[in-house]
Amino acid sequence: MAELEVRRLTKRYGGTVAVDDLSFAVEAGKVTGFLGPNGAGKTTTMRALLGLLRPSSGEALVEGRPPVAMTDPLGTIGAALEATAFHPGRSGRNHLRTLAVAAGIPASRVEEVLEMVELTGAADRRVKGYSLGMRQRLALAAALLGEPRILILDEPANGLDPQGMRWLRDLLREQAAGGRAVLVSSHLLSEVSQTADELVMIRDGKLVAQTSLAEFTAGGGAAQLRVRAADLAGLAAGLGETAATVSRDGEALLVGGLGAEEIGELALRRGIAIHELAPQRQSLEERFIELMGDEEATA
Amino acid sequence: MNLVGSEWLKLWTTRTTWVMLGVALLGEGLFAGLYVGLAPLSEIGDIDQVATGTGLLLVMMLVLGVLIATTEFRHGTASSTFLVSPKRYPAVLAKLGVALLVGLLAGLAYFLVNAGLALSLFSERGGELPPTGDLVEVYAGVIVSYAIICAFGLGVGAIVRNQVGSILAAIAFFFVLSPLPELLPGSIGDYFPAQAIGSLHGSSEGDGSLNQVAGGLVFAAWAAGLVALGTLLICRRDLSE
Repeated sequence: MAELEVRRLTKRYGGTVAVDDLSFAVEAGKVTGFLGPNGAGKTTTMRALLGLLRPSSGEALVEGRPPVAMTDPLGTIGAALEATAFHPGRSGRNHLRTLAVAAGIPASRVEEVLEMVELTGAADRRVKGYSLGMRQRLALAAALLGEPRILILDEPANGLDPQGMRWLRDLLREQAAGGRAVLVSSHLLSEVSQTADELVMIRDGKLVAQTSLAEFTAGGGAAQLRVRAADLAGLAAGLGETAATVSRDGEALLVGGLGAEEIGELALRRGIAIHELAPQRQSLEERFIELMGDEEATA
Repeated sequence: MNLVGSEWLKLWTTRTTWVMLGVALLGEGLFAGLYVGLAPLSEIGDIDQVATGTGLLLVMMLVLGVLIATTEFRHGTASSTFLVSPKRYPAVLAKLGVALLVGLLAGLAYFLVNAGLALSLFSERGGELPPTGDLVEVYAGVIVSYAIICAFGLGVGAIVRNQVGSILAAIAFFFVLSPLPELLPGSIGDYFPAQAIGSLHGSSEGDGSLNQVAGGLVFAAWAAGLVALGTLLICRRDLSE
């Protein structure tokens, strides 16, 4: 059983469809990157998984059951949704204490999570004075409070400095290594490509791809070959008679649909010397942007 | 019980509660002290009237009730609260418990301030105190009214989640709309909050037809109705932010 699962989830707000017939699953022991441009429906999906939104149709399930049926909510699922969702006049420690008391979690655990997110020194300051990065860490502390089996983190890297990002990556890896299911959203591939095992990509509320990071990295779409030759025009003419797709890239040709062997043999038959014949892999970012079809993904 | 503890902690870990109660009690104390201490005895007349206060603390408790509900929506902490309590209504009931509790606490503090100043000054100046039994009734009614009005505010806050809108709605409903039916013939006005709280205070005999307990029950029924509707809405509504 998947720790988190959405089945044909649809959420409409009036006339707008925020999430459209979306299905995917999140497994234990893995970090699942939930990717998509801003407004793709990531937050809506996460909120449905947390029982904060009611699906228009379809289901959002936590350990196979609707989230409202959770008997030990904080021990099941920890969530960091928005870095701004604190009372500005309450201290970080008191914010965590209110949650701990509600869930029957001992006060010592509050100190532990404060230590984990390195906020102990600022714990008695009012949240009003926190930086965005500190708020993110406080939100993470709240998510970790109940030592949950599942973590749902919405754009946790926003506002973190490079050391903070690194710290977050280590934390997520550690949590997954401990057998937890981690769903972490981002609109930037680079933020999750070093952490995630699985990728779920959505756009306009619809699933674009669900794949392992390894597959995504290895894939490269339709593989192309970069070819340089003494007589580029002659080679292009020769390739034009085959089923290959050919495009010009400066002093080289990008050839799809033919293997290196076929291209080499064709060049030999035509007496054209090959200067370079190399597989051309699309960068992860390029493929991501292609999938998302959105400028924002490059931001 | 854990949820009540959590809500109680929420209430006292921001400055708002302390400031509101402090200001209101200070205002009530000043009124009781200055009026009873300085006004001509003949003008003070019935000390019962002084015992029910200026209404400042009453307004504050109404607003505090609204805030107990709406602050969480304003700052987005409602999401965290309902993650701990996914069925939601237990958290709202915990808020109700806290509203009643803080109302009683404010009422007791008020009693100490008002009775301490007004009664002692009044008798010191030679005024004649009503029988103790009457005073106990008046003060008991006043204390209970603070608890109920705080719950009343909570109910309005749960229905109208926008903080400013909710405060305005609560004040407009309580102080402007609910006294209007008194103008109608018959006793229908007695069953609206403004008159019911008058009966509960036991200070408006002659105005309303309800006795103190009946007035309290009518007022409590209004609060309960609002809280019930608000709870239902909170359980059904989406939390999109």
